[in-house]
Amino acid sequence: MNNYLKRILGTIAIPLIAFAVCQILCIAGGVTYFANAFSWKVFVRASASVMLTTFALHINLNSGRFDFSLGAISLLSSVISAQISIAAGLPVWMMLLISILAGFVLGVLSGIVYVVLRLPAIIVSLGVTLFYEGLAYVVTGGYGVSFVTNTEYTSVGTIPFYCAVIVVGLIFMIVVFDLSRFGYNHRALMYGQKISVNTGIREIPNAIITYGIAGMFMGVVGFISATNNGTIQMSLNFGSIGVMFTAFFPMFVGGFIGRFSNDKLGYLLGAVTSAFVSLMYSRLNVDSSIQQIVTALILVGFVIFLSNEYKITTFFTGHRAERKTA
Amino acid sequence: MEQEKAIKAPSRKKVLMKRRILNLVPIIGLLVLIAVYLGVGYWEDIRFDKGFQAILNSSVVCAVVATGAIFIYTLGSFDISLGAATLVSAMIGAMAYNATGSIVVMMLVCVLVAIGIELISSLLAAFLDLPVFITTVAMMSILNAFALVLIQINGTGDSISIPSEAVDPFDNMAFKLIVLILYLAFAAFMFNYTKIGRFQKFLGGNPLCAKLTGISMKKMAIVAFVLCGVGIGLGAILTVTYAPTVSRNTASGVGMNVILAIVFGGMPVSGGAKSKISAAVIGAISISVLDQIMSILQLGSGIGQMVKAVIFLAVVVLTSLGYRQKMLAR
Repeated sequence: MNNYLKRILGTIAIPLIAFAVCQILCIAGGVTYFANAFSWKVFVRASASVMLTTFALHINLNSGRFDFSLGAISLLSSVISAQISIAAGLPVWMMLLISILAGFVLGVLSGIVYVVLRLPAIIVSLGVTLFYEGLAYVVTGGYGVSFVTNTEYTSVGTIPFYCAVIVVGLIFMIVVFDLSRFGYNHRALMYGQKISVNTGIREIPNAIITYGIAGMFMGVVGFISATNNGTIQMSLNFGSIGVMFTAFFPMFVGGFIGRFSNDKLGYLLGAVTSAFVSLMYSRLNVDSSIQQIVTALILVGFVIFLSNEYKITTFFTGHRAERKTA
Repeated sequence: MEQEKAIKAPSRKKVLMKRRILNLVPIIGLLVLIAVYLGVGYWEDIRFDKGFQAILNSSVVCAVVATGAIFIYTLGSFDISLGAATLVSAMIGAMAYNATGSIVVMMLVCVLVAIGIELISSLLAAFLDLPVFITTVAMMSILNAFALVLIQINGTGDSISIPSEAVDPFDNMAFKLIVLILYLAFAAFMFNYTKIGRFQKFLGGNPLCAKLTGISMKKMAIVAFVLCGVGIGLGAILTVTYAPTVSRNTASGVGMNVILAIVFGGMPVSGGAKSKISAAVIGAISISVLDQIMSILQLGSGIGQMVKAVIFLAVVVLTSLGYRQKMLAR
């Protein structure tokens, strides 16, 4: 029972603390934290988008593959789906499907380039990012895509839709990476590349599919962003990599929560924590530069805690022991 | 036995020859690019004096910052905040000029601020056991935001400017080349002829072995970041002297271009013994020449960037032939 309680507390502590702190700050600032339906929508959308980006970053990064191209895949898949859907007058659910498919194909292509060239993933991702950004620019003639007046596309972003995205994304991650042969192989390769390959696990298909899944997640992120804004803006010269940085904090938080429950659930709760903070900024009208600084400091503070956790634990346990003996 | 030796000897020669040729690939790549540039330029009847000036202008900041960054990359570390650090150094340098009216003070401030920024990154990483990449990601975010705060404090719209007359004497080829060559010579000396360079290559190649022989990763990381800070400071000076109006977008592409340049120049991103200072300059100039070729051919931003990506990957594949692994690289 004690163990269960510890695990439950460990799982929900960080989001709860974040919520409490943000709530107190909002009260001190004289505003209501969740004032209306729009606040809820902003919160759920941020949770969904950041959770999927964190999944996409994590599944390759845990295997030592750093991928700068996530933002570019998100950009290009949304451009492809929007262009096709607008041109053919397709319904919005088809736009979502095309975005997911395009993201998967772009991810797989990225994985094939990595596998064929045998270069470190970080270098391949630099080339792929440049290529996809350039391609998105060429496809739209540099003007981006705009469908602000298309109410069918822009009104898809509702709270139930974002909740469905979160639930489906989480279940998909757990089934694929925790409950399937692919997931077992992925984990084996993650912890021991050489020994796994020697025991017959096929690393190349595993890596390519992992890239494909990451691309699929980014396809959904691109769709969420495009339908929310009604426009897709172009990025060149690595302008798209900023998307990736939103996932670092949830990834570390998720890793910590994963010790107490499931790491995938942890990434969701990490994204929720991040969304709590974003909503607080929005409600308090915090200047964007201050937001950036505070967010970076929170990230650094949390990573300092993680990196020095053993020292902190030793310090406290040692201190207590001394007091007891005294 | 003798037969075996006879068989082995040529293969070793072959290996050495192959390695030498592979080491030359980045230089050959640069020469090919220059040849293409000259051919295309001749065909399109461009003014080569202006063209080479444009190449130097666009490559010199990247080359100087990348030269400093080699010290960090050699350790197998990674700094993504280089562009933001250049921006903040340039901004504070410009503010120092506006406060004192002295160009020397501005230059000193640029270098000192850059060293200070890198020192903070390295101290955080070294003494709080933070992953360097995370430290630099956070630092990038903080510095970009800090640049906005500086603009607000300065109260001059969306940029910080100094009079162009103040920097005119320094906005010429000679000054840029002198800065680049002097810093390159200093970095090459530190890297190739001192303990610092040897220790860093050792740490990058085999951190555990290096640690067991008594080399301090923390000390070497701090030294690497400080040396990189000097490069960033010089990059900031060159940025202000070229464009005396510093806005939030100034040097925004430097961070990623430095990575491109270093890899393009033939240095493994994992660092170690194969690291070389020349990679920074060769890579930075190659990218600028490539950009100029795209510009002459009027390929457009999108197609130009796609071609750049393909050439980048092709060159990196060629330069990495000597150290590619059988298993997927991580």
